[in-house]
Amino acid sequence: MLLPLPEKLWNRYSAAHLLNRAGFGGTPAEIDDLYSRGMDGAVECLLNAPNDEDLFPRPPMMEPAKRVEYQKQIKNAPTEEERVRIKKSFFRDERAEIIALRLWWLNRIRYTTAPLLEKLTLFWHGHFATSNQKVNDPYLMWLQNETMRQHALGKFPVMLKAMSQDPAMIRWLDLNQSSKKHPNENFAREVMELFSLGEGHYSEMDVTEAARAFTGYRVVPETATFHLATNAHDSGMKTFLGKTGDFTGDQILDLIVLQPQCARFIGKRLWQFFVSESPNEKTISEVADILLNNGYDIGKTLRVIFRSSLFYSRAVVHHQIKGPVQWMIQTTRMLEIPLPDAKVLENSMAALGQVLFAPPNVKGWDGGRAWISASSLLYRYNLAAYLLSGKAHILGGGGAKTAQLPLEAIAPPSTRVSCNLLLEPLAFRIFNIPISTRDFSSYMSYISKQTPPYSDNAVRDLMQIMMGTPEFQLN
Amino acid sequence: MKTPQEQTLHTRREFIRTSFLGGALASTVPLFLEKTFLTLDSMAAATTGQYATGKDSTILVVLQMAGGNDGLNMLVPYGDDAYYKARPRIAIPSNSVLKINDYAGLHPKLTGLRDLYGSGTLGLIQGVGYPNPNRSHFRSTEIWQTASDSGHNESVGWIGRYFDSCCKGSDPSVGVSIGGQTPQAFASPHPKGIAFSDPSQFRYMSEAASNPKMAEQFMREMNSPTENMGHGGLSDNSGGSIGMISGSPDTAGDTLDFLQRTALGAEMSSDKILEIIRKSKSSVDYPRSQLGNSLNLVGRLIQGGLPTRVYYASQGGFDTHANQLPSHDRLMTDLNAALTSFVADLKAQGNYDRVLVLTFSEFGRRVAENASGGTDHGAAAPLFVLGGAVKPGLYGNYPSLTDLYEGDLKFHTDFRSVYATALEKWLGAPSEQVLGRKYPILPFI
Repeated sequence: MLLPLPEKLWNRYSAAHLLNRAGFGGTPAEIDDLYSRGMDGAVECLLNAPNDEDLFPRPPMMEPAKRVEYQKQIKNAPTEEERVRIKKSFFRDERAEIIALRLWWLNRIRYTTAPLLEKLTLFWHGHFATSNQKVNDPYLMWLQNETMRQHALGKFPVMLKAMSQDPAMIRWLDLNQSSKKHPNENFAREVMELFSLGEGHYSEMDVTEAARAFTGYRVVPETATFHLATNAHDSGMKTFLGKTGDFTGDQILDLIVLQPQCARFIGKRLWQFFVSESPNEKTISEVADILLNNGYDIGKTLRVIFRSSLFYSRAVVHHQIKGPVQWMIQTTRMLEIPLPDAKVLENSMAALGQVLFAPPNVKGWDGGRAWISASSLLYRYNLAAYLLSGKAHILGGGGAKTAQLPLEAIAPPSTRVSCNLLLEPLAFRIFNIPISTRDFSSYMSYISKQTPPYSDNAVRDLMQIMMGTPEFQLN
Repeated sequence: MKTPQEQTLHTRREFIRTSFLGGALASTVPLFLEKTFLTLDSMAAATTGQYATGKDSTILVVLQMAGGNDGLNMLVPYGDDAYYKARPRIAIPSNSVLKINDYAGLHPKLTGLRDLYGSGTLGLIQGVGYPNPNRSHFRSTEIWQTASDSGHNESVGWIGRYFDSCCKGSDPSVGVSIGGQTPQAFASPHPKGIAFSDPSQFRYMSEAASNPKMAEQFMREMNSPTENMGHGGLSDNSGGSIGMISGSPDTAGDTLDFLQRTALGAEMSSDKILEIIRKSKSSVDYPRSQLGNSLNLVGRLIQGGLPTRVYYASQGGFDTHANQLPSHDRLMTDLNAALTSFVADLKAQGNYDRVLVLTFSEFGRRVAENASGGTDHGAAAPLFVLGGAVKPGLYGNYPSLTDLYEGDLKFHTDFRSVYATALEKWLGAPSEQVLGRKYPILPFI
């Protein structure tokens, strides 16, 4: 049963774990603040964080007015060559735009005061995995991102409908070409296989029939808004999941979410992302029930999960491999430094295997152990070294210097006089759990070679050792 | 006479001793290192299976020609009028083609490959493609990398699946990709294989620390496997103190174990690779291009006895939409020089018989030239297989230049047959299991 954690078991480590899973970690001060609210207070604080979008003005991208101009010119272009030239001149900076968009989102995740919202947006981005490699339009990718953010904590059926009419998604899964005469099955199949039910819970006939309901879905090029082209839409009778009617796309989605399997599927995905990789049957059923009884309210469901004893259990805490975005944000937050230089950041996320707005395919990112290979693990160790030292050449080639580590805050002078006084707060900041005796004695054997008061270099070197470990990859 | 298992254990012990002790460490061996050897031996015993490695068995080198190589100008159908009709500006003149038979011949710059054909180690497989071809770089590359049907989305690579089914417990360097990122062909839920452009970058950069020697030492210590390490959990109300949470590893402790093994494997591969690069030199000159450098690196690693079974390298720039002749010419020159040097290198090492090179591109190009002196994305195209054990010749048939599929060449050899052949006949792997379906085996090996 997803029984709540008894209040007496709520401690500093519980708060750290909550902040790491429901968000992207934080400094000891932030963890302590969360801890001081008690478990209920902490969970509410995360669920109800006020919208902070004003802090994050979006990057310059092709504005709607410019898009109207672009469409006009394209329509009036006399030759294919002229069209190519116009396209080039308007989308000249497309590559820079998508990089700027990525940076914008990473920056937002880094500094947001509503981390759960960003964590959920990241979850939905992986769930409805859409890649700019095919969409080829940063503005549409940004629109999708904002739509996901808008519905992230809300009711899943609303999100599902919004995604079916999302311009980037329409292009991604070929809805823009799907017509009554030639229905395209791509979206119909993926919406069931990957977004709501999972393979084996619908028939090929269901795919074909559903595809008919999504015909005529179009994007108005000038305004990048959804439009139903009624002359291309098949409004005839369809039989879907055992029901017959002249279903629209929205009605198909309504029928899907009525299936208990949909609640199981979404429930399992949420559990795997926020809690652990292999939930047992009982847990999946319980989460599914909560979803079904609450109109698939994601926020309400997460409230139950984040308050449960199971969430704070030994089998869960410190057993999740940090994904690349998680690793980068959590590390920079905990070190109290900004994100690295844009080029380093861009290259690092690619090397670590998670490029935002470009998941490998519609299945998204596998996560878990798939993040870790010999190359990516070594890269994480070197990236930590780079962030700590500011030594540009560590990651290969010339790179910019990174910001100076605020060692006064991380290890104030009072902590530099003895091993224990130094090690305890550092270990809490870096690992968020009590460390084992074995590790403790290793770190001690390092410090014992230094003379107190420990120098900045000694502290930095110790942190590098701590962050170049398997343990540091875990949340 | 040692069994392969004992041999591998012995080799591992020796290697570990040499690298750890020969490395930048203090002269006395700390206690933790002795323990490390013991644990490593027991780990090695647990994971070592009787599998072939690239040290003494067959090796596959996959060479990606990225962008969509124009097969028609690489293996030229000079004996067909339709070719010259479709490409008035960019067809290769018949008198410069390196003739193979009355109908087809190689691009004029592929002189070294023509010689290899003549001397019997080059196979030319014609008309390779797949049903319902996709003309998107992104999507078609993915299809070739995952060996999936064109209507199906797959994220696991075909080589990743080979590693999963046949190389459990092997070194992380069982697959090596030269280039910044791991190719999707290697992708797997249990990733294997390593990727680097420059071997000196594939290591722990201890020089970031103010005391690099000590940083290196402690990194190795913290990344050695542990026995019976308890794992922190919050149901123990341990407040803020540092202390061991007692108990045996729970099943989720497998994650930590996996990370530790990966770290250790990374260190070992890194040490091995750096040592090989330090010692080894090519007796042959390679062209100074990215491809030349990549194949040079592969040559060194093969010579140095790295246990890698599959290498992956890539040559870019094939998306020749405009003004194709000079750029394709340069690409063919580079390809010719790099492959010829690679073959000479392998022959000098005595390793040519153990290596099979396989080229591929995500699609060929359209039969008709476009208005910009180039070609657009097409479908079927030929590929090369090269190696000491290759049965030379032309395989399949040259696709018809007039009976087309939406303006593109029709395929008749599914690329997955080529993979199946490489898997079964070369790597000794069950192709049906790896590819998910039975494909006909081709006779080029």
